[in-house]
Amino acid sequence: MELRDEFLSDEDLDLRNLSEAELGAWWSLWLRQAQASNALDEQQYSHGVFTAAPTCAGLARDSNPT
Amino acid sequence: MNIYTDLTRRFNHGRLRAVLSSGQAVVLHRVAIMSKDGDWIIREDNEATGHVLAVLGAYGARYRFSAPLDPRWLAGGWSAHCQFHYGELRVRTDFVSRPPRLSDQELADLWAEQEGREVPFVGAKHLVALKQTNREKDYAVIGELARLLTDPRDQLLCSRSVRDIIALAEQHPGLVPELVPARPLLERVGEGPDRLAVALDAERRAMIRANEDRLRRYALAASDWATEWPDVERETAGLSLLDAHDVIRGRAEGVLPFTPGGDR
Repeated sequence: MELRDEFLSDEDLDLRNLSEAELGAWWSLWLRQAQASNALDEQQYSHGVFTAAPTCAGLARDSNPT
Repeated sequence: MNIYTDLTRRFNHGRLRAVLSSGQAVVLHRVAIMSKDGDWIIREDNEATGHVLAVLGAYGARYRFSAPLDPRWLAGGWSAHCQFHYGELRVRTDFVSRPPRLSDQELADLWAEQEGREVPFVGAKHLVALKQTNREKDYAVIGELARLLTDPRDQLLCSRSVRDIIALAEQHPGLVPELVPARPLLERVGEGPDRLAVALDAERRAMIRANEDRLRRYALAASDWATEWPDVERETAGLSLLDAHDVIRGRAEGVLPFTPGGDR
């Protein structure tokens, strides 16, 4: 059996087998489900040079960005 | 397809102004869905920032704690951040014009590659550089993005897989010494998979530390602006995004330096 280094799940990589419509539907569903964590990351930043809003501003943490 | 692709089309109506980046670009490469926020690389000119603000204003967006979406700050590597609600979605829109880890030439190439595309999004090679953040999960994404690259040089420079690197080196032995200056760990290819794995781990940790150091520089430079922000937020409450932008731009002058460690 030939193994290869795995980085992501089969479910992630299955995006390549979806039609445009299927990808759109799955993406939209994922975005809707992801709203469940909005309260938790209200002050956080996921991109850019800021890591947190001033009320809990601090130096670089694990929440960041490009 | 969704709010992020719709926004990208609107941002680029009539002219290429903004390229979809980071997590949503990863989806369009069909690698993974891992981010609920939107990130764009924007042209560094007043027409582009004004157009994007007008589009966002029509959605009822407001500024988050942020640099102004203004070329003077964007040129210093700052990011600008807005947010609005769209149906059941909280939509965050993040912008930079000088993405980290891309040279001026690479940035020029990125813009040239996207010209004329209906939904411009960052290509896999440039996305690898953007994903070299301080988040562990981004290195898994890089591992898969590297497998989308077609040039063996790019693959050798970007791969996170010990097996892939060794196989590439065996297929293209002449490339390895040529690429060592750009990626020193390639010098370890001949030492076996275990030593190469150690070198890959060390390389990842070094990239994480480098990004943390970069963010610390910006956090330090933004400390006065962070102190003022609650008052700025009160002053702009209830204003349209364009009116709030004028206030924020004026308040940031003299407080938030255009470049971290630079002139205000």
